[in-house]
Amino acid sequence: MLKPEINELLTETGPGTAMGELFRQYWMPALLADELPTNDCPPVRVKLLSERLLAFRDSNGRYGLIDEFCAHRGVSLWFGRNEEGGLRCAYHGWKYDTTGQCIDVPSEPEGSRFPQKVRLKSYPLVQVGDVLWTHMGDPKLRPELPVWEFARVPAEHTYTSKRWQECNWLQALEGGIDSSHVSWLHSGGLKDDPLFKGARGNTYNLTDRKPFFEVADADGGLFIGARRNAEEGHYYWRITPWVMPNFTMIPPRGDHPVHGHFWVPIDDENCWTYSFDYHPTRPLTDAELQAMREGYGVHNQYVPGTFRPLQNKDNDYLMDREAQRRGETYSGVWGIAMQDASLQESMGPIVDRSKERLVSTDSGIIQARIRLRKAAEALRDDGVIPPGVAPEHQRVRSASVVLPVERGFIEASREALSVTPGTKHASV
Amino acid sequence: MAATAAEARFRIEYPFLPRDSRIVAVDGGAMGVVRRASQLRWDGSARFLLYDAATAKGNGETTDATLRDCTDGETTLLSRELDGADVAVMVAGSDGGEAAAIIGRACADRRIMTAGVVLAPAGVHTNDAVVALRPYAMVLIVSSAEDDLIDLLTALRV
Repeated sequence: MLKPEINELLTETGPGTAMGELFRQYWMPALLADELPTNDCPPVRVKLLSERLLAFRDSNGRYGLIDEFCAHRGVSLWFGRNEEGGLRCAYHGWKYDTTGQCIDVPSEPEGSRFPQKVRLKSYPLVQVGDVLWTHMGDPKLRPELPVWEFARVPAEHTYTSKRWQECNWLQALEGGIDSSHVSWLHSGGLKDDPLFKGARGNTYNLTDRKPFFEVADADGGLFIGARRNAEEGHYYWRITPWVMPNFTMIPPRGDHPVHGHFWVPIDDENCWTYSFDYHPTRPLTDAELQAMREGYGVHNQYVPGTFRPLQNKDNDYLMDREAQRRGETYSGVWGIAMQDASLQESMGPIVDRSKERLVSTDSGIIQARIRLRKAAEALRDDGVIPPGVAPEHQRVRSASVVLPVERGFIEASREALSVTPGTKHASV
Repeated sequence: MAATAAEARFRIEYPFLPRDSRIVAVDGGAMGVVRRASQLRWDGSARFLLYDAATAKGNGETTDATLRDCTDGETTLLSRELDGADVAVMVAGSDGGEAAAIIGRACADRRIMTAGVVLAPAGVHTNDAVVALRPYAMVLIVSSAEDDLIDLLTALRV
């Protein structure tokens, strides 16, 4: 249960809000790199943290993320022409470079200094891995570029997709922290999904549906350990790192690629779910890449030409009651990603947490909310840089391990939970 | 169809039956924080207790434990406190093994949910408490912030 004012604090991310300012401390995924595939390609509308922006790639390959609207009469620059080193408004020809600086106002005399006095709001846009990242906060406090392992391994080791999720970012994130739903909602996927099936750990998941949980502080957020019975004298641990504010990694299964998510607020009622898969020590196979593109694992299928999932709230997520009855899917919705999204969206755009009835197994979610609130308040009141900004906080991994009952998951898995380039992830 | 924003605002209010919670300090290191928590106002019917000692039969077999009520200092029995309880939250500082074992087993016998909270300032060794609580707490939280306990109990509507 959250008081309404705390729910508002955590869910509102527009300019000037406490959580919005928190998000503006970090490099965030703004769009996939292949959305701007070539120089002078069409610009892309990007809404982030309730700000309407436009991303483009100029004739020299420079990326820009600027205010969507022309300073002249406020029309959308999405209609503009991306040519000859800038983006020209389709209405009266005003032209901007990737920093938002106006470089031409055709109606002014040649050589006029007026364009120099016009500048749109802009943010940096930098490619790291498959993703174009932006930092929307104070340039003086701009941190080092992100070092997340999925974005730093060789290109052939990693794959990232994104989808539009029609709910507030926090209820999507909370699904990523909540390990207790896996044995239920995703039980079908553990048996059939090509990116999940076949791992020894799945057996423990399916035979012990009442896991014990441990939540421990981490420098960047939390480690959440879900413990199930394994062989005599041993526990099977699935360890999920959450790094503030919106990054989680799913504990791996067998030699499958390891996956995770960013949940990036579009506005207060929508978010982008970035879903990545990577393998630290080998390229992804053709079969794995094909499965990811076909929407298996943490990925999804799309309405053609969009990032909206093919299964969405307008078609009841293509609910299949017969598949549900046959036990192929627990909820009747196909695919792990949309099983999560369908339920999270069903709660409404911003769930009213003053009405929920949490139980002890929701402790990971409770602890994450506490840390988000404290970090947002510390930043707002005292200017404290929040956890997760520092690169060392980003060098984390998830892990799945079998340990003797007397071993704690943190001390036994300390190395497995941090990135050592060139070493395989710990997985059962 | 997912709920709209307007529908979400007008969700039906359910009758609210408070959870019957027992919050027990299982070692000396946790008694202060549990006492302070007991002085706050709680909506549910939580009882805040301090572990005292095991009680045993003549043959030494542990059968019960004595606890002290934080608010009036009265001695009570674990078995009496667990009658009708929904959840037992065991709070430890640095140890708590004996109490966790007795409370944990008693809760398991009665099908009562257990949670463990290990609270210690950053840098203080907590492994003994974690090891002690792990077998008996279905959920175990390790934290260096005392107010985490308050936030946890608030979130759970104890």
